[in-house]
Amino acid sequence: MQIRALRKHGAPLHILAPGKAYRRDNPDATHSPMFHQVEGLAVDTDITFADLKGTLDFFCRKFFGEKVRTSFHPTYFPFTEPSGEVSISCFVCEGRGSDNSGQICRTCKGSGWMEVMGCGMVHPEVLRAGGVDPERYSGWAFGLGIERFAMVKYDIHDIQLFFQSDMRFLEQFG
Amino acid sequence: MKISLSWLKEFVALKAKPQELKTALTGLGLGVEALVQAGDDFIFEIEVTTNRPDCLSHLGVARELATHYRLPLKQPKTIVKESSRPSARAVSITIADADLCARYCGRVVENVEVKPSPAWLARRLEAVGLRPINNIADVTNYVLMELGHPLHAFDLARLAGRKIIVRRARAGEHLRTLDGVDRTLTPENLAIADAERAVALAGVMGGEESEISSSTRTVLLESAWFDPVSIRRTAKAHGMHTEASHRFERGADIEMAPVALDRAAALIAEVAGGEVLRGRVDVYPAPRRPRAIPLRSSEILRLLGADVPAKDVGRILSALGFQVAETKSSKSKVESRRSKAAFDSRHSTFDSSWKVTPPSWRPDVSREVDFIEELARHIGYDRLPSRLRVASRRIEQNEAREKELEVSRRLTALGYYEIVTSSMADPEENARFTDRPPVALANPLSQEASVLRSSTLPGMLGALGWNLDRDRKDLRLYEAGKIYVAKPVGAEKLGELPEERRVLTLGLTGTWREKRLDEEEKNLHAGFSDLKGDIESLLEAFDSAGVRFDPESSSCYEPGFAGRLAAAGAPEPLAIFGRLRGARAREYKFPQEVWLAEIDYDQLLGLKLKARTFRPFSKFPAVERDFSLLVPAGIPYSRLAEALSRSRVEEVMDTRPVELLPEGKIEPGHYSLLLRVRFQSPSRTLTGEETATLGQRLVNSLALLGVRLRS
Ligand SMILES: [Zn+2]
Repeated sequence: MQIRALRKHGAPLHILAPGKAYRRDNPDATHSPMFHQVEGLAVDTDITFADLKGTLDFFCRKFFGEKVRTSFHPTYFPFTEPSGEVSISCFVCEGRGSDNSGQICRTCKGSGWMEVMGCGMVHPEVLRAGGVDPERYSGWAFGLGIERFAMVKYDIHDIQLFFQSDMRFLEQFG
Repeated sequence: MKISLSWLKEFVALKAKPQELKTALTGLGLGVEALVQAGDDFIFEIEVTTNRPDCLSHLGVARELATHYRLPLKQPKTIVKESSRPSARAVSITIADADLCARYCGRVVENVEVKPSPAWLARRLEAVGLRPINNIADVTNYVLMELGHPLHAFDLARLAGRKIIVRRARAGEHLRTLDGVDRTLTPENLAIADAERAVALAGVMGGEESEISSSTRTVLLESAWFDPVSIRRTAKAHGMHTEASHRFERGADIEMAPVALDRAAALIAEVAGGEVLRGRVDVYPAPRRPRAIPLRSSEILRLLGADVPAKDVGRILSALGFQVAETKSSKSKVESRRSKAAFDSRHSTFDSSWKVTPPSWRPDVSREVDFIEELARHIGYDRLPSRLRVASRRIEQNEAREKELEVSRRLTALGYYEIVTSSMADPEENARFTDRPPVALANPLSQEASVLRSSTLPGMLGALGWNLDRDRKDLRLYEAGKIYVAKPVGAEKLGELPEERRVLTLGLTGTWREKRLDEEEKNLHAGFSDLKGDIESLLEAFDSAGVRFDPESSSCYEPGFAGRLAAAGAPEPLAIFGRLRGARAREYKFPQEVWLAEIDYDQLLGLKLKARTFRPFSKFPAVERDFSLLVPAGIPYSRLAEALSRSRVEEVMDTRPVELLPEGKIEPGHYSLLLRVRFQSPSRTLTGEETATLGQRLVNSLALLGVRLRS
């Protein structure tokens, strides 16, 4: 997505690209061979890792609630570097991992945090392949699963519900 | 990868509690999936990303933690007590295909006693999930887990000619590997051979014939470096995945080969007795030449949005094993004051540069940005600054998206719920609804999901059926999704993608609203005019003049209960809709009528949204008149509506049909329609006479269609 968009539009560029995605997974409560993703990309002459953090932190608070805190930790993706995973503090137990009676929080499974999306600074070779000079431009990108976001936000525990078209599900969000 | 805390402590004097270590590891990019206590030890299950083969070992993980906690890293003990006999006389090693094997080190240990490992060794292996076999095999596994370098032990007596030749396998060459499988090799596979035949699949698995057994007296230890791509291909081709192939295909540490070899030889001497012959046989035709790569403080700032003090750059990279040489330095005031605010600076206070040489165990590091990632990891992502800027660039409104939102607002207002069904379909079911060829999947999960659909109807029917089966009888659903049409066989070009078309699908069944107490439910059952009305409500959002209605005859829909809408001159209809044909409904065991619409969504969104202009309303009263018309059969109402709008009678505010008597009730070959018209003038109150004249003009405009007033 990144290279194609850069080739088509050049830099600077800020885009969001939602769409269907497929993966060869057997369907179960947390896997679906078809799901939806949003990818985002920002490329400009003055984009830094700080913009990645600030923007995604703002987005997570707007989406999950102002009390939510974000945490970033390193991971590996082939098209970004440095790459990161974003976790949000659990908004059910407010990051404590358990409720007032000491019961383990079901939403975050007791860790107080939930991984919600991947991100990173666009790899210089990706910029180059997109026809953009990596010495002049830099960029950040993210990818998130729409069903995953909805599951976290609405406490949904079965991804299959999104594709069954069950009125008892649809009516709750219609 | 399972990592034992007590094992880690042999390399670094960790003081932190296991939970703190878990957080630290996650912060370094070594995600901890599980942390379990095992006796007085703790085991971390670490998810090592594919770019970090160096962390597939206790030494590698210890190095990360030593850097994090600023502790010294101890190196493994590799002092080998050797006998006087040289190993080079006991074995000969040749690399025939150096493109696939860059280094091969061997050592010979004589007079070993093969037996079960001592308890400490067996326990260590079990702690990290390995099953003890015998002391020799266990030592190779121990070193694998400790240093990350895969080793192999041969029974030297079983190697013909006491020779090792590293070469591509011959076509059709046979090898029975340690898992008991007879394998036929190809020249794609790198083999370890003796003077006669292949004895191991290089970097993947040893052969059964040269396996260490209780009678083994002389061991040849192999510690080599194999080409990652070749190992990946070979392992994949043979459907194998081993601890060794896992590491070689990610990139092993070529300089670790002799170290791991010595470590293993020393351990074998310790647990199996025997004498280690003098010297390593080390075939290393083209030693690795490390390359220094420049790193600039300006680049660190440009990518991280933070200055990293020179002393931190040096400390972090050196601790990770990088050689760091400062080539330009300008000390900042911030640094000398040791201010924590250094990481928050937007303006560089430094102008330094370095030449950095990555260590042999970091195949992932080859550019400046790789160093910057190392710095970001070890400073900690959460400690790096965060910035939220106001978007300053122009933002273009996506017109197509505006239209989509308008469509979904209208459908929602009409009581429809949006659904998403699978794009993957059963080819047989798909073919019952369309002639368009679907796109076959190369590697489907099941026959029921083996093509990308070329009709959306099966998905919609599945959704209706799912709810009908659960006693939900009144349904209005829509899906905005794609169909995929394969290029006809022979016409497809390499790399050309199949055609994708967007389809807006409606599904309607049951009553169109809840019945009131005084109503009969059957009068509320959704019918053709409800579906058509819903589509027309959608079209009202758009500039859809020129879209015409015609009856439709297609195999999916019940004849006489199906229609199509098409724009003048368009090759494809805008919409096809109607009642699901009875035979189909029976196949799906639907207990009631089901209505469907397929709308060409690309075509619909290609229409302009209707421009709205305010029309001042009249101060004068409106008059309603009913016209009882006889319409020739075969003339649909849409033709009447067109004629009425073409008549351009300014005072007509609204026309609508209010009653329908079917063909033949009044006159053969005609149906009867009661048309209600509202007249209103912007400038005066209309007299009865004026209204009658206007009405006559309307009736005249319909005469061309053969429509006349019922007398
Ligand atoms: Zn929680």
